[in-house]
Amino acid sequence: MSTYKLYYFNVRGRGEVARLIFAAADQKYEDIRYEREEWVSHKSEMPLGQMPVLEYNGVKLPQSAAINRFLANQFHLAGKDNFDQAKVDAVVDTINDMISKYRPIRMEQDEAKQKELTKTFLADELPKHLQNLEGLGKLYGSGGSFFVGNNLTWADLYFYDIAQHILELDENIFNNYPWLKENRQQVEKQPKIAEYLKNRPKTSH
Amino acid sequence: MPSYKLTYFNGRGLGEVSRLIFAAAGQKFEDVRYERDQFPAHKAEMPLGQMPVLEVDGVKLPQSSAIARYLAKEFHLAGKDNFDQAKVDAVVDTVGDSFKGFIPTIFEQDPVKKEEIKKKFFTDDLPKHLQNLETLGKLYGNGGHFFVGNQLTWADLYFYNFAQTYIEAEADCLNNFPWLKQNRAEVEKQPKIAEYLKQRPKTQF
Repeated sequence: MSTYKLYYFNVRGRGEVARLIFAAADQKYEDIRYEREEWVSHKSEMPLGQMPVLEYNGVKLPQSAAINRFLANQFHLAGKDNFDQAKVDAVVDTINDMISKYRPIRMEQDEAKQKELTKTFLADELPKHLQNLEGLGKLYGSGGSFFVGNNLTWADLYFYDIAQHILELDENIFNNYPWLKENRQQVEKQPKIAEYLKNRPKTSH
Repeated sequence: MPSYKLTYFNGRGLGEVSRLIFAAAGQKFEDVRYERDQFPAHKAEMPLGQMPVLEVDGVKLPQSSAIARYLAKEFHLAGKDNFDQAKVDAVVDTVGDSFKGFIPTIFEQDPVKKEEIKKKFFTDDLPKHLQNLETLGKLYGNGGHFFVGNQLTWADLYFYNFAQTYIEAEADCLNNFPWLKQNRAEVEKQPKIAEYLKQRPKTQF
């Protein structure tokens, strides 16, 4: 029996997709959450001094994307063959391109400046990324509501998680993107996901 | 035998890792290279209006890392099982983290400012990432010279490629990292890689 331990902060952040994958797979794991003050004393235990880290059968693995893809592969949520897995990876990378434009805005300390940057992001930057994602869903989704091959994969879970942050900027954003709206609804409807979403800790981000 | 077509600019950039993987595998492929002024006419042919794009038996796949990982898996250069593949992914992600800091040095136009951010990158930023990479090599490399499991994987090719860019900007940047230097030397010694490096077009980037 393999053992899984996930180390992260007590937030969703870069750890939540792994938790969603464990939930979708109905796989038990140790969900270790460090508060910021606790983290300082554990930093040197992690290979790169960062989290999340997955410990699999006692061996530590850093880097959230590597962790997420590994878990998805273990639990058959990565795509049915190498090429479908590549399509899933392409969707994930496209979500990352979108989020990399938003992260610097979140880090902006000046409130007025942040408001301005957010406005520009929503008007000029975000639409092309959402259009790209709808494009990939229609190209690879075999006519269904999931991104690749008519099955739930971690690409859908990743989009679901990231979209939650986008919705905090504009709760109506997906009204213009019906395919993405439907995709998220299909994820939420999965029984194990619905159960997890109901019970998970409510955190600020 | 599937047919492979890689479409990218006439440069190393984000396409070269895939070319190195094809070379290491001894696999034929169509190496389509567009000059900068040729690309606009082809942009609409790409799923995300970007390159590189891999076409396998007529189906297009965007996103350089998704492409490279797919090819590596097809040609058994990705790691021997799910967990080794995850370690490979973690190394790749760590190289990717290092490159994020380098990007501003490419695009800065003001020569004085460019020199300043370049200096900061090589003095403060890159060494941390190189240290992390040595840590992972020693953690996952089974005592050998390759990053994971004592055999060549696309993590070694990925580091080889991006380190070349760093070395061209700052020749001494690996001097304090003998493990990484040795790793690159081992990659260069692989007969098919050595042959490819000798023959490949010399480009500006």
